[in-house]
Amino acid sequence: MQTAPAIEITGLRKKYVNKRGTFRRTKVENVALAGIDLAIRPGELFGLLGPNGAGKTTTTKILTTLLLPDSGQARVLGLDVVKQTSAVRSRIGFVFGGDRGLYWRLSGLNNLRYFAELYRIPPDVSKRRIGELLERLGLAGREHDKVEVYSRGMKQRLHLARGLLNDPEVLFLDEPTIGLDPVGARELRVLVRELADAGKTIFLTTHYMFEADSICDRIAVIKKGAIVAEGTPSSIKRVVENQGVVEFEVVGMPADRLAGLRGLAGVSSVTVVDQELAQVVTVHCTRPAEVMTQLGVILEGLTLRKVSSREPTLEDAYVQLIGEST
Amino acid sequence: MISLVRAAFSAFAVSMRLRVISPWAYLNWLLFPTIFTAIGLFVLSRPGATTTQLAYGVLGGGLIGYWGVAYLDGGNGIQDERWNGTLEQIFAVPTPLWVIVLGKACGSLLFGILSFLPTVAFAYFGFHALLPGVDAARLAISIGVLSFTFLTISITLTPLFALWRWAFSMLNGFELGVYVLCGFMFPVTVLAPWAQVISGSLSPTWATRAIYAATTNEGPHDFALWWLAAILISLAYLVGALFLYQMVERRARVSGELALA
Repeated sequence: MQTAPAIEITGLRKKYVNKRGTFRRTKVENVALAGIDLAIRPGELFGLLGPNGAGKTTTTKILTTLLLPDSGQARVLGLDVVKQTSAVRSRIGFVFGGDRGLYWRLSGLNNLRYFAELYRIPPDVSKRRIGELLERLGLAGREHDKVEVYSRGMKQRLHLARGLLNDPEVLFLDEPTIGLDPVGARELRVLVRELADAGKTIFLTTHYMFEADSICDRIAVIKKGAIVAEGTPSSIKRVVENQGVVEFEVVGMPADRLAGLRGLAGVSSVTVVDQELAQVVTVHCTRPAEVMTQLGVILEGLTLRKVSSREPTLEDAYVQLIGEST
Repeated sequence: MISLVRAAFSAFAVSMRLRVISPWAYLNWLLFPTIFTAIGLFVLSRPGATTTQLAYGVLGGGLIGYWGVAYLDGGNGIQDERWNGTLEQIFAVPTPLWVIVLGKACGSLLFGILSFLPTVAFAYFGFHALLPGVDAARLAISIGVLSFTFLTISITLTPLFALWRWAFSMLNGFELGVYVLCGFMFPVTVLAPWAQVISGSLSPTWATRAIYAATTNEGPHDFALWWLAAILISLAYLVGALFLYQMVERRARVSGELALA
């Protein structure tokens, strides 16, 4: 028997209208979502990947009832996020990344107590649950400190505790590890995975590939408001299955040499990242050995260093899907 | 229903906690009203002044402070929520926004009413000025009615601040206008006839008139009429607020303007 999706999105569209100019005001439309479809199973940890401005946060805000779509449908736990707002709000939790979203001049405990009341949780339940969450998220003993003295990692864990106050069936995490140090980010990922293992449906947005690769059951890649790939991390990697990756550092990469590199047979994308004194060039191709031998010719006269060839990762698949950047 | 009352009380408690530690709050209820009282009494308590003028000097600063905190803190509170990034959070909880605003507005009223303490004390110790003829019961009821008018205005206007960042800046001038139009420091009868029409449409005008009548023996004393006028106009504001909250709920979700970015 097939279970109903925990989250179901059909033909979702959203555009923002901004005004430009001081005296002669003109309206500018930005398409945030160009008609996306998604279905997420109960208990699944689903990752939505995409670059900044791709539509990840807009999708999350529509699903958490903070935004209305222009057209299309979105249902969470079978409830329409446009019409059944109140019912949706009481059954979901959400955590947005970053420092803000907490009362810094109140203690962590008072933040949680306040939101527990706003979620209309009975006092006996909220007292027990707050205690459990503080313990589980490693904030016990620091709950009476003002949030302004918390580290970034502690603030993010407090955010997560707030998002879990109503014991939500679906949890939305919008770039929850952004700005966290590697240890804090890893701890948070472990917690998120544990929550999914405990049966919660989790909708995670991120632009960290390894994060999605390490914890998500399934992912979708969004680009300019459209889903360009969807599947398990390993199935997404298959986009670059027959490919290899050649990476090298070069000092000063003229545009004509770059074009020459792109023109080589079997090269599907070339990305260049500027560093202090050199550029790191990543070439996705079907015949890495041939590309390696051609490098000497194409880059003749340039200072070339650290040439290597490796197997493609999810990040490579992502770059392939999102497109080249120079 | 009980959970909504608890949510409103919790919003009230949080707003009080945040005010107690905010230096701005002390300026609004302590310093500014005292300055207004000093200026008012300096002008109004000269030899030959009527008892009514003396009452305006004693209570005017407190009324200005009370209104300033009730109105400005309501607006600032929403702006603070926006800067904290908590405006979206409180918008997306199962508790309706008006319940949270009600709790916060009650916090503003409680803090604002404290303005009468330093101003009345300053009038007594600084100028040896006392209210000429206090009718304690009617004064208490009139202050209660005035509080209700402030509460309804605060509840009505706050959603506008939530939706439009510029609304608070635009409506800042409204604070000063109400000082004059509602007769906090002098009777509205000295205003131009067209201004008195506007005064009559503002609910605090009628409650303020009742307050001054309850502290002097001069002039008419139509308390029941004034209280009724203040309450009915306030109820009309609340009817407007019903539509405003529905509009704000929808517009905020269309434009996504609750977030700072």
